[in-house]
Amino acid sequence: MKKLSRNQTFLLITVPVLALFFCFNTLPLIKGLIYSFTNFKGFGSYDWVGIRNYADLFTDARVGKSYLFTFKFALVATILTNVVALLLALGLNGKIRAKSALRGVYFVPRILGGLVVGYIFGYIFTYILPAVTGGSSMLSNTNTAWLAIVIVAAWQSIAQTTLIYISGLQTVPEDVYEAGAIDGATGWKSFKELTFPLIIPFFSINMVLSMKDFLMVFDQIMALTKGGPAQSTESISYLIYNNGMGGGQFGFQSANAVIFFIVIVAISVFQLNFTGKKEEQL
Amino acid sequence: MKKRLIATALVAAMLIGTIISASGCSSEGSADGKTHITLLQYKPEAVKAFEKMEEEFNATHDDIVLQIESPNDAMTVLKTRLIKEDAPDIIGIGGDVNFSNFLDAEILMDISDFEGLSLIKQAYLDIDKNLEFVPMDGVYAVPYVANAAGVLYNRQMFKDNNWEVPTTWNEFMTLCDTIKASGQQPLYFGFKDVWTCLAPWNALACDLAPADVCRQVNKGETKFIDEYDEVAQKMLELLDHAQDDPFAYSYNDACTAFANGEAAMYCIGGYAVPQIQSVNPDMDIDSFVMPGCDSEADNILNSGVDLQFCVTNECKNKEAAYEVLSFLLEDSTIQTYLDDQNAVPCKDQEFKLSSALDGMVSYINEGRMVDYQDHYYPSEMSVDAQIQTFLLDGSVEKFLNKFDTDWVRYNRDIIRKVQEYEKKGGNE
Amino acid sequence: MKQKNKVAATTNWPLTILLIAGCLTVIFPLYMAIVIAFKKPTEMTNDIAGALSLPKSWSLENFAEAMRVTDFWHSLGYSVMITVVTVVLAILLHSLAGYAIGRSMAKNKFYKFSYLYIVSGMFVPFAILMMPLVKQTAQMGVDNWFGVILCYLVFYMPMNVMLYTGYLKNIPIALEEAAFVDGATTWQTYWKVIFPIMGPMHATVAVLTALGTWNDVMTPLVIMSGTGANTLPLAQLTFQTQFGTNYNLAFASYLLALLPILIFYLVCQKQIINGVVNGAVK
Repeated sequence: MKKLSRNQTFLLITVPVLALFFCFNTLPLIKGLIYSFTNFKGFGSYDWVGIRNYADLFTDARVGKSYLFTFKFALVATILTNVVALLLALGLNGKIRAKSALRGVYFVPRILGGLVVGYIFGYIFTYILPAVTGGSSMLSNTNTAWLAIVIVAAWQSIAQTTLIYISGLQTVPEDVYEAGAIDGATGWKSFKELTFPLIIPFFSINMVLSMKDFLMVFDQIMALTKGGPAQSTESISYLIYNNGMGGGQFGFQSANAVIFFIVIVAISVFQLNFTGKKEEQL
Repeated sequence: MKKRLIATALVAAMLIGTIISASGCSSEGSADGKTHITLLQYKPEAVKAFEKMEEEFNATHDDIVLQIESPNDAMTVLKTRLIKEDAPDIIGIGGDVNFSNFLDAEILMDISDFEGLSLIKQAYLDIDKNLEFVPMDGVYAVPYVANAAGVLYNRQMFKDNNWEVPTTWNEFMTLCDTIKASGQQPLYFGFKDVWTCLAPWNALACDLAPADVCRQVNKGETKFIDEYDEVAQKMLELLDHAQDDPFAYSYNDACTAFANGEAAMYCIGGYAVPQIQSVNPDMDIDSFVMPGCDSEADNILNSGVDLQFCVTNECKNKEAAYEVLSFLLEDSTIQTYLDDQNAVPCKDQEFKLSSALDGMVSYINEGRMVDYQDHYYPSEMSVDAQIQTFLLDGSVEKFLNKFDTDWVRYNRDIIRKVQEYEKKGGNE
Repeated sequence: MKQKNKVAATTNWPLTILLIAGCLTVIFPLYMAIVIAFKKPTEMTNDIAGALSLPKSWSLENFAEAMRVTDFWHSLGYSVMITVVTVVLAILLHSLAGYAIGRSMAKNKFYKFSYLYIVSGMFVPFAILMMPLVKQTAQMGVDNWFGVILCYLVFYMPMNVMLYTGYLKNIPIALEEAAFVDGATTWQTYWKVIFPIMGPMHATVAVLTALGTWNDVMTPLVIMSGTGANTLPLAQLTFQTQFGTNYNLAFASYLLALLPILIFYLVCQKQIINGVVNGAVK
């Protein structure tokens, strides 16, 4: 038997993987794309409507509002999550007692189901916080409801982001710190000059993953506000799912999903390129 | 270590292989020569009643095997089964916009030759008929049970304070003032859950707007701003008697508050009674029809079909499906359902109803009722959220103008169909 | 193997205390969840005491009832099976793909494209894939738990491939070269050298993939509809009906479902930490 070259091996691995991916991701996406040119309800008979759905999309105030809300939300939540998670990961990776227990506790939010999170935080925002601060519920005010969702979404996703940072920190060899300590690099300087450059791949992964998760926010909205108050927290995914699957707008929301997909891909390619350049510089 | 991992993977792959090949041939199992009928119904809370019905049916029928499925999130399951072309023979769904959509998508069978239809109250058959976007020939559903909505009240509290059940809008508002003056809370709302905004809205619209307002608008005969103005005004009046910041509380909060005697009345349907009684099992709840009009004689009960059975086009054996439907309409079967669920049967006959419906019984028996208006609203238009927005903002005109423009946008295809139908002469 | 650093013995107490204090953000909601899981619906009130006071009795009745209603052991079996098979296959397949792509994407356009292609697949909203996937899996005869696993393998591929390629950036090719010199093929080198060294990343991938599949409702709901089989999250839908939710039973059930995955996380967490010693690049 002839030995396979390195490139042949790689090709033999990559091609079947790509085929599987095409079959369960791209193929259904193409079918969805086709539906976006119809008035399909999700079942039964339908008519072709040409580019009507796309034309509507750009004149629909509700869709426009959902884009604004989603991007504002995702930006704030991504920054908040990554800052807190990075600090938490550094802390949990430090020389502390009860490391396992602490890591376990900080991971719990990610496991709790949407129903539990929705109820508990609904309770906190409706009854406990107003009692403590004397104000009214954050969830019933159009100016603060989105912040409440940011808090809950970040609370849940910090667990996963921290985990990825922690495993990134494992690739930083101890001797880097030792060498750094000899040069007098400690604290912030040691982090900025030694640790951070080494975990940049994980930083960019986390940025992309959390940006994607937050742009697609759905569960926390269903659990906390169902798009309210006054339709101020309707995210793009909320519209796509509720009106496409739950309602009769499958075709229209497929068009929405296609545009949304293109927008996020553009953002992420930009993000990856940006952090990729950073990696090369360092 | 690695070898063990690879070995595990191989074993797993083999296991999967065998299971797929095994499961591949297990589905089509009508080798027993009997007719199989599957019924998928959308009320998982009624699963016990349906299990009992299934058992009774199968015990008394040798040639037909009935299988009843009560999955969670049944509407999604049903839609996926339609996509898979694996539709059940009979579906048990609500008489709402989903039914209209199913009709429009041509997946239901005309069952006008089913004899059991003559046993059903005409009012409910009419309600179902009105759900057709464009009047169609034939009948497509057997209404089974209905629910009704208006105002629930705490009977004990009313008795203790000598409050009278109001029959006109003025009496209702005066009562609210009296209750407030006594230091108690008249109404409690759970408007954080937007759908609860529809409960008082529907009940008021039954009293104050034409029952077929949506169809009239589709025909271009009127506008919502002309028909819904009073409904919207009275919604704002109701809000004056609500607890502080009703938009902070959910449906569940409102049920709990009402159950614990924190409010005397709650504008919601009879369907909320089980949730309320889960918190306070001994509570004495009664209800009255929303008194939206100035004279009792003009009030109309808000009632719609909560569960109805439709035969799908996929059904291969119509006779067997009719046999199942006839069985479901037998008095004893209906009683099985009523024993388990709080409901109003659509069969034209006297059944014992829950005491929480005492104040509505006369309306039900007279057939003095019309359907929930939101059964005609496309769900993607999110009228519930629009009502919440309006209640927060307070501008009737802004709300109803948007209602009119949005309506045209979301119902474009239906309006076109309706107007084509009218051009061809219609039948009205 | 390196000896543990002497500095590691000294505990950073301020940090430990800070992290323990931070745990309150998790412990407080968790406490509410536990208290509610033990209460009866009749003990629920609309004030702070309703959620914070201790239950009248610590009876396990809610848990027993929740287990009965969800057909616990049966549903748990399905959930465990789907999760375990998905995780094992994901580790094998995605690490291979990450290796082939990660090692070649810098020089070869095809792999760079494959990487971007797979990663961008992450941004396709599930709602648009759902209906076409339902139809496709039904046509392929995999509208059962196996189809669900196939979908998961594709859904989590972008994130996992990103994680593996990110991790590989910090593993020098020099490590592989030693094996090549001994005449090993790329395939053998992978399993002998690279696969074991990625231990911490396997653990991370296992945790993230397991979490996603464990809590997921939508995929099994639409793909397995009509098979009569339930995963745990599917069975838990039974607590929420159109007009009522039994929060007490639901909370008991969610707490039960949380335990297996928490234990799994803690086990994997050990693996991530152990990886520091093993994986430290010489």
